[in-house]
Amino acid sequence: MVQPRILVLAAIASVGLAACGGGSTPGTAANKPDKVQIAAEGPFTGDQASIGAGALRAIQLAVKDFNKAGGVNGTQVQLLIWDDQHTAQTAQTLQAKGISDPTVLGIVGPMNSGVVLGSIQGLQEASPPLPLVSESASNVKVTDQGNSVAHRVNARDDAQGPADGKFMIDQGAKKVYVMDAKSDYSTGLADQTEKYLKDHNIPTMRDQAKAGQKDFATTIQKIKSFGADWVYFADEGPEAAPFVSQMKAQGLTIGQNIQFLGTDGEEDSSIITASQGSYVGAYATNITADPAGVSGSAAAAYVAAYKAEYGADSIGQAGPFYGSAYEAAQVLLQAIKNSPVKNGKISRADVLSHLGSDSFNTIFGSVKFDSKGDVTGGGIYVYQAKGTQMVVVKQVSG
Amino acid sequence: MDYFLQNFPQQLVNGLELGSLYALIALGYTLIYGILEMLNFAHGDVYMVGAFLAAGVAGLLVHNEVAVIPAGLAVALMMLVAVGGAGLLGVGIERIAYRPLRNANRLAPLITAIGVSLFLESAVQVWVSPAPVLVPSNALVPQTVLHVASVVTPLTGLALFVAAVALMVALDAFVFRTRFGGAMRATAQDREAATFMGIDVDRVILVTFFVASALAGMGGVLFGLRYASVDFFMGYLLGIKAFTAAVIGGIGNIRGAMIGGLLLGVLESLVGGFISSQFQDTFVFLALITVLLIRPQGLFGQPLTDRA
Repeated sequence: MVQPRILVLAAIASVGLAACGGGSTPGTAANKPDKVQIAAEGPFTGDQASIGAGALRAIQLAVKDFNKAGGVNGTQVQLLIWDDQHTAQTAQTLQAKGISDPTVLGIVGPMNSGVVLGSIQGLQEASPPLPLVSESASNVKVTDQGNSVAHRVNARDDAQGPADGKFMIDQGAKKVYVMDAKSDYSTGLADQTEKYLKDHNIPTMRDQAKAGQKDFATTIQKIKSFGADWVYFADEGPEAAPFVSQMKAQGLTIGQNIQFLGTDGEEDSSIITASQGSYVGAYATNITADPAGVSGSAAAAYVAAYKAEYGADSIGQAGPFYGSAYEAAQVLLQAIKNSPVKNGKISRADVLSHLGSDSFNTIFGSVKFDSKGDVTGGGIYVYQAKGTQMVVVKQVSG
Repeated sequence: MDYFLQNFPQQLVNGLELGSLYALIALGYTLIYGILEMLNFAHGDVYMVGAFLAAGVAGLLVHNEVAVIPAGLAVALMMLVAVGGAGLLGVGIERIAYRPLRNANRLAPLITAIGVSLFLESAVQVWVSPAPVLVPSNALVPQTVLHVASVVTPLTGLALFVAAVALMVALDAFVFRTRFGGAMRATAQDREAATFMGIDVDRVILVTFFVASALAGMGGVLFGLRYASVDFFMGYLLGIKAFTAAVIGGIGNIRGAMIGGLLLGVLESLVGGFISSQFQDTFVFLALITVLLIRPQGLFGQPLTDRA
C-alpha cells in the first residue's frame, strides 16, 4: 500500500517541479519577475484569532484578486502565512525565513504593536531591509523609532486617544471609568485618552480587563461606586459583549444611566447581537474604516466579494481589520508592481522606496505615506450601535 | 472603611458565584487525579466544548430571540446535550489518549493531555468560530435582577451558584454513599488491590471520566446562560484557575476542591474590588504558592488517596 502512494507523491512532485521550472525560465516579457512572495503576519490562531482570522482572509482575497488581474507582469504572487500568535519571539523566527529569501518582498502586518516593536530591528537590519505594512498596529512607537521599513494604513494612538477624550467631553462626560485590556495596544491607547481627560479636568478611574474575561461583576460594582457617567474601554473587542450585558443586568443601561465608548474591535455589529441588544446606544471609535460602514463603491464591492468568497455570515466573524488588511495588501502589492524588474528579480530596496514615494489605489480611495510611514489623512471614525447596525456618526481626521 | 463596608457584600456575592463555577470544574481535576494520579489538562477544554454544545442547541431552538419550544424544555435539552456530549467526549479522550499510556511514565499522559487541550481549542476555533458565540439567554431564562439590601445579582447568577452547590452535594453523596462510589475510592487507594477485590477498574475509570466531564459540561451550560457568550479559549484560563482551586483544596480531595473553588472566587473578587484588577491573578497564584509552601497537601489535609 505504501509504494503506490509514494509513486503518486513523486508524480505530483515532478509535476510541481516542472511547473516551477517553467516559471524560472525567462518569460516572454523582459520585465516578468521569476518569483514574488509576500507574507501575511498576525495572530491567526490562539486567543486573538478573532481579530487575526478575518484579516488573514482579507489578505488572501487581496492576493487572489491581484493575481486574477495579472499579478506582477504575469507572475503570480505567492502568499506566505506567518501566524505569530501575537508574540515577538515567534515573529522573529518566522521573519528569519523571509529575511534570508530575497524573493520575499514585504509583510502585510504584523497586526499587534507589541509584535512590531519586538521584531522590527531584524527587519530593518536585513540586507536589503524587509518592508512591512501593518493594518492595525497603532502604538506611536511603531513609526516614531525612525525605522524606514515601518508603514501602517491605520491611524495612531496619539490621534485616537485625544479624539476619544474630546468626543466624550463634547458629549458631556463628567466622570470617566477608563479601562484597558492589558496589551501594548490597549494600555497605550487608554493612557493617551486618560491623559487627555485629566488635562481637561475630568476625574477618571483606571481599571483593567483580562483577555477573554467574561465575568465583570467586580468591575461593574466599582463603576457604580465611582459614580461614572461614561465607561471607556480600549479593547480589540471580544470582551465587550459580556461586559455590557452584565452592566445592564446589574442596572447600568447604556444610553440611560451610563454611556459607553469602545475602540477598534468594538465597532463590530456582532457585539449588538452577542450582547442581546445591551450594546445599543454605545459608541466606538476605530483607527480604520469599516468597509461596510463607509460610502464608496469600491468598499461596497469589496464587502460583496468577501461575502461571496467566505459566505454571507462571514462579515460577522471578520473582526475589525478586514478592511484595513485588504487595504494594506493592496498597497504592498502595488508598490511591488511599481518596482523595476532586473534580470527577473525585484529588489526589496526598490519596493521600500516605492512605498515611500507612490500613491496607492485602495478600497478606501487614494493612500500615501508620510516620511515616518504613517498614512496621510488617516481618520478616526466614530460609530454608534443603532438597531442591529454600527453606524458612522462622525469622522475626525487624524 | 465606608467604601469597604458598602461594597463588601456585593463583591462577596460576585466572588461566590464565580467560585462556584471554579469549584464545579475543580471537581473534575480532583476526581480524575484521585483515581489515576494524572492531571487532565484537557478538562478546561471539555468544559468549553460543553458550553459550545449548549450554545449550538440554543442557537437551533431560538429564532429571532424567541424560543420555538417552551423555554424550560429548551434549557433541559441544552443540559442533556451538553452534559451527555461532554461526558462522552471525556470518555473518548480517556480511551484514545490516556488508556494506552496508563502504564507509561508520568510525564507521557501529561503531555498527551496538553496535546488534547490544544487540539480541542484549535478544532473549535477552526471548525466552529474564532469569535465569541452568543447563547441567546434572553429567550431562555428570565432576566430578573434580584435586589437584596444593597446587593444586586441576576437570577441566572443565583441559579449558577445553587445548581453548582446542588451538583457538588450530589457528587459527594455519590462518591461517599453509593456502592459504585466505594469502588471509585477503592480504585483510588490501590488500583491493583481493587482489581483483586473484583472491581472492574477500567469501568470505574470510564465512569469517573464521564462524571467529571459531565460536570464540566453542566458548568458550560450554566456559564452560557449566565454570561451569554462562549468562545474557544474560555476553557484555558478557567482550567488553570480550577486546577489551582483543586490544589489549594488538596488535589484528590472532593470536598477540598469545592471549598478551594469558592475560596479562590471570593479571593479574586475581593482583590479586584479592593486592591486592583491588575493584581487579581497575582494574588490567586500567590495563594497557590503560599498553600504549597505551608501545607503542600492542600488545605483539607489527607487527600482521598494517600499515595499522592
